[in-house]
Amino acid sequence: MVLPRYAWRRLYQQRLVLLLTMAAFIWPLLCGGFVYLTNHVELLQGLDKGFREFIQVDGRFFSIFMYVQAGCAVFLAAMAGPGLVAPDLANNALPLYFSRPLTRWSYALARLTVIVGMLSVITWIPGLLLFALQVGLAGGWWFLANWTLGAGVLVGFFLWLLILGLVAMASSAYVKWRVVAGAVSLAFFFILAGISEMINQVFRVKWGHVLDPAWSVNRVWCTLLGVEPPDGPGALASMVALAGFVALLVLVIERKLRPVEVVR
Amino acid sequence: MQTIPVVELENLKVTLGRREILHGITCRLGVSGTGKAVGLLGPNGAGKSTLILTLLGFLRPSAGRARILGMDCGRNMGEARSKIGYMPENDSFVGEMTAVNFLRQMAELSGLPPEAALEKAHEVLFHVGLGEARYRELRTYSLGMKQMAKLAQAIVHGPELVVLDEPTNGLDPAARRRMLKLVTDMKEEQGMNVLVCSHLLRDIEQVCDEAVIMKDGLIVHHCNLEEERRSNRSFVELEVTGDDRSLRMALPEIGAEGVSEGGGRWRIVLPAGVEVEAIWGLAARQNLLVRKLTHRRDTLEEIFLKAMGHLERTPGEGAALEAGSA
Repeated sequence: MVLPRYAWRRLYQQRLVLLLTMAAFIWPLLCGGFVYLTNHVELLQGLDKGFREFIQVDGRFFSIFMYVQAGCAVFLAAMAGPGLVAPDLANNALPLYFSRPLTRWSYALARLTVIVGMLSVITWIPGLLLFALQVGLAGGWWFLANWTLGAGVLVGFFLWLLILGLVAMASSAYVKWRVVAGAVSLAFFFILAGISEMINQVFRVKWGHVLDPAWSVNRVWCTLLGVEPPDGPGALASMVALAGFVALLVLVIERKLRPVEVVR
Repeated sequence: MQTIPVVELENLKVTLGRREILHGITCRLGVSGTGKAVGLLGPNGAGKSTLILTLLGFLRPSAGRARILGMDCGRNMGEARSKIGYMPENDSFVGEMTAVNFLRQMAELSGLPPEAALEKAHEVLFHVGLGEARYRELRTYSLGMKQMAKLAQAIVHGPELVVLDEPTNGLDPAARRRMLKLVTDMKEEQGMNVLVCSHLLRDIEQVCDEAVIMKDGLIVHHCNLEEERRSNRSFVELEVTGDDRSLRMALPEIGAEGVSEGGGRWRIVLPAGVEVEAIWGLAARQNLLVRKLTHRRDTLEEIFLKAMGHLERTPGEGAALEAGSA
């Protein structure tokens, strides 16, 4: 845990990262207020009955919470993620690390741990806190009936954080300049979303969605949270596509994170 | 007691792409725990860096075996790396860290506990002359300071072997002297084994006890500089006035051989263990007045040039041959 400890310290020395992290707590706080309101019907007496039935803490609520936090996580990963790897590559620090008892994989895992840890603060941790708040306010019966939502939040966010972490690392491994690496990791999601939509439109198909990792993750979330899924390929196809993305990103990292660049 | 070589290579071959860089090297360099320095010499493209990178486990041998401190560079690399310090040739640092944090992190990565790592970081930074600048970020350092910081990170965990790749690169004469002094201290005072890769023959000659000369992926010469210094058939250029006809017959008295070049000029080869003072004594006994006495040995440069094929023989060998045939 030596590398994560030092990286963590450096990470929160960046003001923008700190500001964005704090800003990412606004939505969970609003959601917390929402959970409180839905469990105190006396405060909603004046409202329409249909609306009161509409605002429920269920899979849809958690999926909306997750969309917003996932968006914040994308920007935070693009801003802070490349700063963990790109400077090491730009300053040629990898030979110093790898000449110590540290393998390439333990280095990559340490960096990934930092990204996932940083994003956890604004994703699954507040998600589980909201879930715990709802359980506390609604009682044990609600937990028994809806425990899968808590598991869905945890698993769903971890899947997203894995993708974000790998994209941030792979982009910074390719582009050694931190700012550009951040832009590349943002572009990764926007460009793939554009390409998948283009394929769908040109060939009049739906499977193009699997080329959009954000869409695929969303599709898996829908299954995990029991929400009506969007029109397109199923959860299994999305998982397979995501596995493909993970393999591709790991391959890029494996190719680029080397102590020496060998000119063949 | 069995001695463990610092570096042991058995028919080591390294291929990058389709190109074989090291063509089956076999050798044993240094003795572990003796605090000696081995110099790795050779022209650009000789395979020095490839050999170092292979020893550090960064490149895999295509055939053969490399051992460092008795540990296999493939299988036991994790264990070996905790006993190695490496100073790369190019700029290598984490720019946004202060020197003391950087060194502490590196020491912890090598297995030191956090408190001991911090203590060692301060100590080593003072040792290399960066004590006053230890709280500055590394990116603000000058080239010479970065070189010293690189050396500091290589020795902060007290390794058994330190691998230095071009340690005096870009240093001004004063900084170069300081760097070489630090390397000498490392081996003599701290008992570290040092492997120095350099193309600067003077640096190698100054700090190393053994030298390996590489050319085209092969070791073309391996010499023990300490022994060479002691036993090299050193030769003397002597100029005398007086009747020197009997000098040739007198030279065997001190075990030397010589050849007259006329006009009182002589080239004399001294055997091992005979110092130049013996010539003074001999000249005095022969009633000769010494006008010039140049005592020189084969330099590493001459040994290097011979190994590269630019010289047929070193001046020492040449003088010995002439003296023998005369």
